Amino acid sequence: MRIDVDALKCIGCMACEMACGYHRDDAFALLASCIVVYRAREKKDYFGVVVKEEESLTIARPEGVEIKRIGVAEEAGDSGQKKEADASAKPMLLREPCDLCSDMKYGPMCVKICPVNAISLQDEGE
Amino acid sequence: MDYLSSNKILIVDLNTGETSEDALDDDLVSQKIGGVGITSSLYETYKDRDPVILGTGLLTGTLFPASALSVISAKSPRTGYLTHSPFTLKAGMELKYTGFDYVVILGRSENPVFLWLHDGVADILDAAELWGKDVWNTTDLLRKSMGDDLIQTLVIGPAGEEGSDLAQVCVNYWANGDCWGFGKVLGEKNLKAVALRGMGLLEISDAEDFVDQCFEIFEAIKGSALEGKRGVEDILIALGESDAREWLAPVVHRHSACYNTPYPTNTFIYLNEDPTTLTEPAEPEPGFMITDIGALLALKKSGLSAADAGHVLRACARRGVDPAAVAEIIGKTGQKDPKAIEQSLEGLQGTVAVPQGAKFSSWVPQNPIFGDFGLSGESSLRDWWVRRQAVAYLFGIHPIFANMSPELSEEVILEMVNKGTGLDLSQETLDQVIEDICS
Repeated sequence: MRIDVDALKCIGCMACEMACGYHRDDAFALLASCIVVYRAREKKDYFGVVVKEEESLTIARPEGVEIKRIGVAEEAGDSGQKKEADASAKPMLLREPCDLCSDMKYGPMCVKICPVNAISLQDEGE
Repeated sequence: MDYLSSNKILIVDLNTGETSEDALDDDLVSQKIGGVGITSSLYETYKDRDPVILGTGLLTGTLFPASALSVISAKSPRTGYLTHSPFTLKAGMELKYTGFDYVVILGRSENPVFLWLHDGVADILDAAELWGKDVWNTTDLLRKSMGDDLIQTLVIGPAGEEGSDLAQVCVNYWANGDCWGFGKVLGEKNLKAVALRGMGLLEISDAEDFVDQCFEIFEAIKGSALEGKRGVEDILIALGESDAREWLAPVVHRHSACYNTPYPTNTFIYLNEDPTTLTEPAEPEPGFMITDIGALLALKKSGLSAADAGHVLRACARRGVDPAAVAEIIGKTGQKDPKAIEQSLEGLQGTVAVPQGAKFSSWVPQNPIFGDFGLSGESSLRDWWVRRQAVAYLFGIHPIFANMSPELSEEVILEMVNKGTGLDLSQETLDQVIEDICS
């Protein structure tokens, strides 16, 4: 099973991020969340969700979901230009991967708390 | 305060350029609760030094639904007495995680400065390069110079620097709840901006119970009257503008929510980009995020198209001027040309009606939205609204969402705060604090 995100449903509220942070730290904090609302393009209204998994990053953008294997160098974009990274996105690879809140009675907290049901559990193959 | 708190009150003296810290005393919280209860108390303590006070609620930045609000409290140039302005988006939450629950800003700096609050550290930094810039350029420069796109900003534009009573403190690039001319107050202090970024952590007294109940409240909200509704268009429809969806449709891009708020109160419109675009637009500034429902409604009633209203609102935000005040003043002239309205913003003057004794921002619609609060009779509506806003400003709850969700009752809020803090705040204390801050 893995976390799936419909970025078009997402309203960018960060409830998932804080719930994940609580799972990690037993307190309210955002530093250790493995699910993060991507919100660095504020003036463009371009936002989505990134999930750190064991061997991959799931990047749910409005135009679709991309799964990147961690450790594989980012390929050049369509234009041939390497995309500029946000400084704020760098710590993502240092975070613990999603464990589907295995020790929590609620199941994955991000799924449970999302107010618009943008986050769901999917079989690996789907 | 050990729980739901950073346990710090920051005192910033702009005259000397020095800062100091006080602990947030449990007794003060037990007596004044938080949010505007404590900012009002701090205002009284420091009122001889023209204080501007930023404050969080006990629930701000937690998992409690709609815990997005922080406040600015100061004497309004429009009213001459202490008023309160909410700020939300992600900035209300960010203040809590900077490591300061309250920030008391005193005096006036000799030269333009900005305040940089991050990870329990407060720096007063030179703002010579920012002075004269509009709100958007200021936020861009702050984020670029510190290399972090997630820095949240409270910013003034040229209107605040020039001392306009209509000047607004904006959040990042957008309008927010300041209808009191606090932009002018910051301008008089030579304080261009407050930049916020925090990696703090809030301990919870009874964590498991607190989180359990948050989930229960979220579930109740999911099945409530606001289910399936989105953005400013559904709010406008609820307020009686039945054609709002059709009016906005040509420009609507997406809706978004303030921190942990189950309803997206903000609607982004694209003005120079196809609003159906899903990929990242090439245009760096394709549109505007509508956060001020009243201003939008007034421009609609003036006969502007949604796109023209968007251009006006964007110009207001760049200049750092209260869009609701602009809409009211412009509405009286009958002007409908957005370019002419934009050109008139520089030096715009005029008076805007304020309800007698008002303390809370008219940025929040005066009626219940979606939710049934069991109200009856015209006379009770104003009292209901004032009390509802007082509760939101005390605890850190999004003030528009507070008017949507009867699930967030005073009883529930008090129970959750007591679980989260380990305090024993009572309904009697809440009643007394509300009476104090409204008097």
